[in-house]
Amino acid sequence: MARILAVDDSPSMRQLVKLALSSGGHEVDVATDGVEALQVAEQRQFDVVITDVNMPNMDGISLVRELRRRTNYRFVPLLMLTTESTAERKQQGKEAGATGWLVKPFDPARLLSIVSKVLS
Amino acid sequence: MGAAVAALPCRCETLGVSAEAAAILLSFAMRESEAPAVELGRALERLAQGLRPLEGGIVREALAGEIATCVRALQFHDRLMQQLAVIRNLFTRMSDHPLPQMAGFGAQRWEELLAALRERLEAGSHDELFELLVRTGGVGVPGDGGAEQPEGSCELF
Repeated sequence: MARILAVDDSPSMRQLVKLALSSGGHEVDVATDGVEALQVAEQRQFDVVITDVNMPNMDGISLVRELRRRTNYRFVPLLMLTTESTAERKQQGKEAGATGWLVKPFDPARLLSIVSKVLS
Repeated sequence: MGAAVAALPCRCETLGVSAEAAAILLSFAMRESEAPAVELGRALERLAQGLRPLEGGIVREALAGEIATCVRALQFHDRLMQQLAVIRNLFTRMSDHPLPQMAGFGAQRWEELLAALRERLEAGSHDELFELLVRTGGVGVPGDGGAEQPEGSCELF
């Protein structure tokens, strides 16, 4: 079981990601944007962070960049989960330090399998 | 007759008001549909929790599969909200800056409408709209899918 932080500005998406990951036995916290995610991540250490890209206040790519600056998140898997799928945006995510890029809509079983893979 | 014509609001003002009204209606509809989507997600969560104590078996697997289908399908609601948000933002910009030559919105064909938008919207709006259309498959160029990842794909760096 892992502690996972799911970040998305959409309430229904947060719920679906939480539902999918909880069904795999993971403990899931949620945040509504990059700013809140940073606050939550400073209060608690997570094993994986899954974030949307387009969010108000702080987007997912900025969040990944900020998390990578913190020593306790330097090697933590950070996954982007987004409708964005252009090579350019993906490259931006990669340069910011993302571990992987998942395109919505996700399949719950596949999401669990990807989380297991990055955790191993 | 001349006085009546003079009293009519100019076309750009009418379109500006229409755009503002459209933006408000969209916002209202989006907000209204958010709560039911969240409630549906909660119901799915309760179903999933109800399945946990059950032993593995065909029925449990089948129900888990159905929940997974719902999870996947419900994400299209989120996508619709994103698309509507972009359109709402475009309407808002139009109402803030009504343009004098918006008669092209009376276009009869989709291609005409796109051409009118391309011509009249500012560069940023234009890019945003076309990115949205391409992303959601509205205007795909055949054989140009190389740079795009299919839905549900994953790439680990």
